[in-house]
Amino acid sequence: MIIKDAVCPFCGCLCDDIEVTVDDGKIVAVDNACTLGNHKFLGDHRLPGPIRRDGDTWKDIRYDEAVEYAVDMLLEADRPLLYGWSGTHGEAQCVGVHMAELLRGVIDNTSSVCHGPSILAIQEVGHPGCTLGQVKNRADLLIYWGCNPIDAHPRHLSRYTRYADGFFLENAFRDRKVIVVDVRKTETTNLADEFVQIQPGADYAVLSALRAIARGKGDALPRTVGGVPREQLVRIVDLCKKAKFGAVYFGLGLTMTRGKYKNIRNAIELVDELSRHTKFTISAMRGHYNVYGSNEVNTWMTGYPFGIDFSRGIAFYNPGETTAVDILARKECDACLIVASDPGAHFPRACIKHLADIPVVQIDPYANATTAFCDVQIPVAVTGIDAEGTAYRMDGVPIRTRKVLSTGYPSDEEILGRIYARIQEVRQP
Amino acid sequence: MKFLMNTGRTVNQGASVENKRSAAYNDETGTCFMHLFDMMELGVDDRENVRVTSPFGEVVLMVVSDEHLKPGTIFVPYGPYANHIIDGETHSTGMPDFKSTEVTIEPTDEARKSVYDLMADLGGLPYDH
Repeated sequence: MIIKDAVCPFCGCLCDDIEVTVDDGKIVAVDNACTLGNHKFLGDHRLPGPIRRDGDTWKDIRYDEAVEYAVDMLLEADRPLLYGWSGTHGEAQCVGVHMAELLRGVIDNTSSVCHGPSILAIQEVGHPGCTLGQVKNRADLLIYWGCNPIDAHPRHLSRYTRYADGFFLENAFRDRKVIVVDVRKTETTNLADEFVQIQPGADYAVLSALRAIARGKGDALPRTVGGVPREQLVRIVDLCKKAKFGAVYFGLGLTMTRGKYKNIRNAIELVDELSRHTKFTISAMRGHYNVYGSNEVNTWMTGYPFGIDFSRGIAFYNPGETTAVDILARKECDACLIVASDPGAHFPRACIKHLADIPVVQIDPYANATTAFCDVQIPVAVTGIDAEGTAYRMDGVPIRTRKVLSTGYPSDEEILGRIYARIQEVRQP
Repeated sequence: MKFLMNTGRTVNQGASVENKRSAAYNDETGTCFMHLFDMMELGVDDRENVRVTSPFGEVVLMVVSDEHLKPGTIFVPYGPYANHIIDGETHSTGMPDFKSTEVTIEPTDEARKSVYDLMADLGGLPYDH
């Protein structure tokens, strides 16, 4: 059986033109997906059933026992942390927010270690963004800043920018210019019309220089800024002003480096300046396929996009205090529920050391680095493969992922719903 | 020698990210990409091991030459190896300094640990079935 127009649950591109061939209850072929999507659809090594740590060994347990363990752990905790959420569907994320509120816990998603700083900047100065379709059909100038889509979002260039046809462009490949700004050469910089190699940590200075040139104050600049010759910066501003429609896409090269959210604020203000001359937009290259959805769900339910602390009985948000890395590094939480993410692999050492000292339950289809710190892990279906649900593309467009085969694993929403129902019985009898 | 460590996504890291026990994931995230001139100065060849030390810990990585990097900088794909030596401080933003950790690098004969061994060192019990 061939399922057409399946949705790829890997990165924020959320490609919705995947063809999946299912034979005898297994995915045997995938068409149109990139390497990352192929590996996700064809991946095996699922955890067969729930497991519980018993001293120095693991033992298999039933789903009922695993759910009860999670319920007891969360009810006994004074300051539970509910972390992850970006690799699951919106319906499961909703249950997570309700659960965090009832437990008076902290709920945070992976955006705090990816585009959290971008959201902080957007909260300061707004987001002049647009959908990917607008960029595909109109943009004649692209700037990729601090990102490497060839490796991280492999079809972004073919579906929406460098290699995509555009309705309002006669010869899109020839008419589009691509500028890449990065600290190192990558496969993406190789296909740029203009590569701007900046010194590590110099993003803020280079963005400020571009703003100065756009305002006609370029003469005040030194000969180089952040390792970039002034002439190249002037040439880039010239290209931007001549464009009919420019689009900036930025990655973790801006959010994780010195300056953090102030870099993005500066980039947005550059776009604001360029929009006085022509049409310009800016958007983040979101990583997990539904990290945008976790921000949406959290925001419409609590008013805040990530790092929400319910310990006061109301939603409180203060990144740097109520975000997962800080809470773990301060050894503050006394239990952790991890859903659809792997902090064991992606958090600094000090954070995962604390995970080893507290009870941890993980809901995830695969054994991963975080499994080592779990008391219990509950395997679930993979959204977009054996479960369906809503996800948000990197431009904020919600797309319903499809279930392409049945495996018998419960979905994240089912397991979280069972845990939440039991917590409600105790806290809201 | 002192270096500035950058971390980031690679296609091999992304393709193997759901199977952290695999050799592909261990090799990719346990690699330190470095300019050939720096490798000559350190006296190491491709696929030899180096000890990478930061103020927050140390880890043994495999070194691979990358002519695209600027001398004085290294690149390590996202994963447990890089995070073993990155600070948990976020400067009140929630975001650690994933792209700007200063490290010292020296050649070593010590073997590179697996991802699961790194987790065991921190008090975890890897699931290896």
